[in-house]
Amino acid sequence: MEEWIQLLEEAREIRRREADWHFINSLPPKLRLALTYFVEVGDIYVASRIAGMKVGEFDELRRKAKVPMV
Amino acid sequence: MTEAIADTSFLIDWARYSRRDLLWRLFDVVHLPESVLAEIYSEGTLAWIVDGLASRRMALFTETDDVVDLARRIVSLSRALPARGVDLPEAVCLAAGLKFGYVVLTENGGAVMAPSFLNELSPVKVMRALDVLHALAQAGHIGLRDEVARYQVETGHRFAKRDLRRLGLE
Repeated sequence: MEEWIQLLEEAREIRRREADWHFINSLPPKLRLALTYFVEVGDIYVASRIAGMKVGEFDELRRKAKVPMV
Repeated sequence: MTEAIADTSFLIDWARYSRRDLLWRLFDVVHLPESVLAEIYSEGTLAWIVDGLASRRMALFTETDDVVDLARRIVSLSRALPARGVDLPEAVCLAAGLKFGYVVLTENGGAVMAPSFLNELSPVKVMRALDVLHALAQAGHIGLRDEVARYQVETGHRFAKRDLRRLGLE
């Protein structure tokens, strides 16, 4: 179990490090919070729902924000 | 016949990979839940899916009531997972994996760890892109190191160092 938790933590660190926070912080609250949720949790489905988008549409926003899938 | 079922988290990056059709070396058919198809937005991804459906490499998976009921139970059980649970779209794939023996293709952390922690899901095989690339390398279709590098460059996906070390790539 510890190994899984460490893997999820490493993935979170990569998303935090590579994210374009200047871009994310320039967005309207709903999109900013959705991207922040994705950075922290890595769940693109829930993040897309927070943003009010389809997953594919949110994925385009995620790429603009330079947040990788890990 | 080897069959898989893919969720959106797997498809959005895999579809950007120039050698994405290597997937057919491992699987005769990849099923796509209707709910996953409805989430696709990018023209390139959709074009690949349309081609896959037309060539019968992919098949539309319609979520029936029994699969959705099982998926809802998986969502509930997944609350016991460490760190994160599973949402309904991934749970549908896990339910289909359990019910029909499909390999589940996903990048969702909860779905990946679910078979390790939930006894009921222990028969389900889950693969991420890195696992697919590893399986392709083991079958002699690709060189793992070069292809992992190519995948990350082309798709923007990042593999965790912990996983790369496990495969002897770090």
